[in-house]
Amino acid sequence: MGIQSVQIGFKHICIMTTVLIALILFLSFICLIALPSPKEIIESLKSSEMIFSLKLTLISALISTILVMIVGTPAAYALARFSFFGKRLIMTILDLPIAMPEVVLGLALLLLFGRTPLGTLLEDIGIRVVFTKIGVVIAEFFTALPYAMRMLYSTFETISTRYELVARSLGYSSFETFMKVTLPMARSGIIAALVIAFARSVGTFGTVLILAGGTYMVTETLPVTLYLNMSYGNLGMAITSGLLLLGVSFITIYMVEKFGGRKI
Amino acid sequence: MSGFLIVKNIHVDLGEFKIEDITFIVDEKDYVCVIGPTGSGKTILVETIAGLHKPRKGVIILDGRDITSLPPEKRNIGIVYQDYALFPHMTVFDNIAFGLKKRISKKDEILREVKAIAQRLEIEHLLHRKPTTLSGGEQQRVALARALIVRPKLLLMDEPFSALDFNTRTRLRKLVREVVSEYGTTVIHVTHDFEDVWSLARKVIVMYRGRILQYDTVEEVFNRPCCELVASFVDINVMSGIVVFSNDKTIVRVGDIEIVSKDRVCEGHRVKVFIRPERILISKSKPVSKFDNVVRGFIEDLERQGNILRVQVRIGSICLKCISTPNVLGSLDLELGSSVYICFRSSDVRLLVES
Ligand SMILES: Nc1ncnc2c1ncn2[C@@H]1O[C@H](COP(=O)(O)OP(=O)(O)OP(=O)(O)O)[C@@H](O)[C@H]1O
Ligand SMILES: [Mg+2]
Repeated sequence: MGIQSVQIGFKHICIMTTVLIALILFLSFICLIALPSPKEIIESLKSSEMIFSLKLTLISALISTILVMIVGTPAAYALARFSFFGKRLIMTILDLPIAMPEVVLGLALLLLFGRTPLGTLLEDIGIRVVFTKIGVVIAEFFTALPYAMRMLYSTFETISTRYELVARSLGYSSFETFMKVTLPMARSGIIAALVIAFARSVGTFGTVLILAGGTYMVTETLPVTLYLNMSYGNLGMAITSGLLLLGVSFITIYMVEKFGGRKI
Repeated sequence: MSGFLIVKNIHVDLGEFKIEDITFIVDEKDYVCVIGPTGSGKTILVETIAGLHKPRKGVIILDGRDITSLPPEKRNIGIVYQDYALFPHMTVFDNIAFGLKKRISKKDEILREVKAIAQRLEIEHLLHRKPTTLSGGEQQRVALARALIVRPKLLLMDEPFSALDFNTRTRLRKLVREVVSEYGTTVIHVTHDFEDVWSLARKVIVMYRGRILQYDTVEEVFNRPCCELVASFVDINVMSGIVVFSNDKTIVRVGDIEIVSKDRVCEGHRVKVFIRPERILISKSKPVSKFDNVVRGFIEDLERQGNILRVQVRIGSICLKCISTPNVLGSLDLELGSSVYICFRSSDVRLLVES
């Protein structure tokens, strides 16, 4: 008998693994919330750097999300509905940033907007991308776009073309059908894509750092604030920006569960 | 060519599947059923007429207008699907009113028309509901109302009743027959259910591997199929024989027996002989009257299929499929191997001269 009496099966090993890993993660969140004193956090929140960073993060993420949806919705619809030359290649290219390290994406964008005729052209008409707030938005846009497009693509895919054919047989043009039938039916997927785009925009670090520079009080978003203050040893500020980012993540997951899970 | 709907020499290429050389004409107010094994291209044919697939070749003319390259919204063709495809984000009212709103803007006029058709289809009490809360039969009536309210020139239906139970299907069939004739709609109806064909259609298209095998009246297709494939699909007895006597009746020698037919074919011709299984009566003793064809054989196979019993009777070298009921066979005390008489009328025997 002895030790052999307790049967540890495969099931128990799997359950123990998941409990353990969740516990470690949870403890780390607790540290983030419990370690700093409330006074320190309030001080940090009131600092002009934090206010600047928060404002820049929210505004740039909002603009980037709007752009992502404006570009991503028709693009994802095209991929889900039509067949055209080079479609597979385009899908692969659009998916690439998901697998790519953010800093590499940032570097690629930096070279495109800094060292090519396109960059020069934009600069000539007064649009400076590299190391500017526009760069922040562009970096966020390209980081968030693939995630939103994946969500939108699978949403459009699940809506049968029959609904669209019925609407068109009743006299609606393809654009009217898209607006009156497809979009309303894709509502929950669109909200999920919106939330994901916003969360990715808020949270991206590598791309923003390389393309926009991560300059103190100029192109400083929350992840940059966290990084800069960590390197100065300013733990209170770092933790506060971490908490703000954590808040965004929680809201995101909640919204995705609420809207994304409920497919029509 | 003239006709209400003219489909001429249509080819559609979808890569892995194509429909080819599709030609047929439908008269105004006609009711045509499309049958054929699964995957034969029935849905693609219907969706091509609706304008979803661009034909590589051929023309489609509806009411005198070439619609081949028109987008679906310019064709004035209604479509009803098996899964109804009701818009889940709209109420039943808005679903039905959808097409009308595009045509007229007066709110009270829309309200009146929707009410009228809802009343006709007995869904008036459902107008405020969302489609997902309706039963299958109710959803199908809403889909029908949505398509009919704009009075399309042509109504396409793709297996509209196949997801419904037997009673609902029977009731809806009757309703469709009445409403379609009141509206004077021309209909093309894809189905797997021969009951639809018999109770609704005047003509039938038989499709197989993207081609039309036969297009004719229900009577012809089900009694005189043009080839083996159609014959086996419409489930009819086919035999080969030679005409040995011809006068007001035709006598055909098939194997070791002679079969009498009312069809006129001259002596000496090789013919295909067709008899529908449900036209054959099985009897234990030799019947006295009515039947001019009575032959003796034995039961080779019995198969229960729903409410009916499929019986195969062997007569020498030929074998005939018959349809009976468990009741009849039970009361006749028949079983596998029993010797029986099979009887059928000469007017039910169809002949087709073999070329
Ligand atoms: N958009 C498409 N692209 C390529 N192939 C298709 C497309 N739609 C259908 N097919 C193929 O064409 C063939 C015929 O399909 P179709 O739906 O017309 O058959 P069907 O006769 O309606 O069958 P069923 O009775 O099962 O509904 C099938 O093998 C199907 O896989
Ligand atoms: Mg089909």
